[in-house]
Amino acid sequence: MEREIQLLWLAVVVYVIAGSLAIFAVVLGKRPEKTILGLLISALLIHGVSIGLRWIRLDHGPYLTMFEILSSNVFSLLFVFALAYWRYRAIRPVAAIVLPLMFIMMGWLMLSNPNPGHLPPTYDTTWLVIHIMFGKVFLGAVLVAVGMAGVVLLRAAGIGEQKFARLPSDRRLDDLAYRFMALGFIFESLMLIAGAIWAQDAWGRYWAWDPLETWSFVNWIVLGFALHLRITLKPAPVWGALLVMAVFILAFLTFFGVPFISQTPHQGAI
Amino acid sequence: MMVTDMHTWLLRLASLKLTLVIFVFFCASVVLAYFTQWSPAWILALPFSLFAVNLTAAILANPAFRRQPGLLVFHLALLALIVLLTISRLTYLKGHLEVSDGESFTGELTESESGPLHPWHLEQARFLQKNFTIDYAPGLNRDRTRSQVVWQDEKGGTHKAIIGDHYPLILAGYRFYTTHNKGFAPSFIWYPTNGRAPQQGTIHLPSYPAHEYQQALSWNIPGTKHEVWALLEIDEVVLDENRKSEFKAPEKHRLVIRYNGQRRELRPGASVLFEDGRLKYEGLRVWMGYAVFYDWTIPWLLSACVLTVLGMGWHFWRKFAARPWRAED
Repeated sequence: MEREIQLLWLAVVVYVIAGSLAIFAVVLGKRPEKTILGLLISALLIHGVSIGLRWIRLDHGPYLTMFEILSSNVFSLLFVFALAYWRYRAIRPVAAIVLPLMFIMMGWLMLSNPNPGHLPPTYDTTWLVIHIMFGKVFLGAVLVAVGMAGVVLLRAAGIGEQKFARLPSDRRLDDLAYRFMALGFIFESLMLIAGAIWAQDAWGRYWAWDPLETWSFVNWIVLGFALHLRITLKPAPVWGALLVMAVFILAFLTFFGVPFISQTPHQGAI
Repeated sequence: MMVTDMHTWLLRLASLKLTLVIFVFFCASVVLAYFTQWSPAWILALPFSLFAVNLTAAILANPAFRRQPGLLVFHLALLALIVLLTISRLTYLKGHLEVSDGESFTGELTESESGPLHPWHLEQARFLQKNFTIDYAPGLNRDRTRSQVVWQDEKGGTHKAIIGDHYPLILAGYRFYTTHNKGFAPSFIWYPTNGRAPQQGTIHLPSYPAHEYQQALSWNIPGTKHEVWALLEIDEVVLDENRKSEFKAPEKHRLVIRYNGQRRELRPGASVLFEDGRLKYEGLRVWMGYAVFYDWTIPWLLSACVLTVLGMGWHFWRKFAARPWRAED
């Protein structure tokens, strides 16, 4: 277990260096983007090895204890973000917003108990892995949208207007955020479907309005509402950005808050 | 004139702004159902109905659906989903049952809830409960359940299966799932002195290990007024908290019974005499609690869900392909 933890610590240190560099780059107007991408990829590789070692040792994926859930989420969210960072050069400075957000999750991860938990028989199914994977892509897509929404909101507040000057216009960022939200909507729908298949096999019902199911469905409605509102009322980018933030906060509270209050067997965060 | 009026109404019902209002109403209804004890099905009936009306009107009146096939598939599948969910709520059954090893399930449920149009043919889902095993990991963590069941098909052919976690028994459309609920079942034979045939049966003590220290039950001997209280005293460790173990009936045990102000300790084979018969304690068995679920719409619901996502994906793919993701302002 020690090797896994050491690798995890190393990955977190590299993530933090990448994030700090992203912040300095925006503040000082520099563009060390290749270095940041290199650091992100290195950290992801180290983190991936740490998760893999634990997976082999415990013979189950990282979805049981809060330590595992946080670790796999830091990995999956940053993996999705690194992909977006690599593909869309124009939006790279949003790393200065997204990575500090991830620092909070990393802090929580480092304080959580790394001891293994017991894998209930209802968790021993491929459908759970599929369900979780879809959920992670959903949250990752919304996180990328949050980065763009954050820039729109900072500009609107008159903070960092010059620092983010070389990013696309608010309208374009709003459009890109909308695209990532749409991607998130598709993957949240897939997450709910795969979850229903798992629940049918595990507990003999595909839907029971347990706290996690209820709040995931509320998330789906709010995300659907946000996408529909954008088409119907064509709100200003600031309002679009606020909706993105609302969806992310709700999703975060659902997946990392509800498991603490739920008394049902459906306990896992994604 | 009438056609124009109808068209105006259709346009109003198809309004995208109305969709937004319904979204808010839907969300509020889900939150209300969560924070109250009211039935979600009843609370959500109205927003679902409004959604169906709005969706139907939009599909009929909005020309965008004819230009964008992905959007049309997505919304038609959503509509199908609402219709299927309504049918599901009208015909479903959810219940629980308990059956001892060596006994048959004959259609009797300990508790159930069902839609008003449920067809009720549980008697066609008879099965014989054979042995079952449940593994326990250290810390009394339940692991795999393997339950052997036997049943006959319509042609009289006998089938056997081992069901358990993720593997339900499906008979006549009913799905039987093993649950954490199980326990011990003292087995008795009642020999009446009036010449009637002996009756064999079991009593189901409270769930184990959830009610480890409450292994007692009062019951009436069938066809008599004798009330008997029974307590199971276990003289061995059934489930070891510190190592792997298996749930099974304990060999070292005593059954304490109280009747007519008397107390007796029984071992398997011992009998108790009453003025109108003899009660023989046969031995200790185990009982399994099953959850039963019936919903014939499941494969159709899944198909509609998949179509919804495919339609949505198709729509967004076409929409976003029209302008590259990396396009500048």
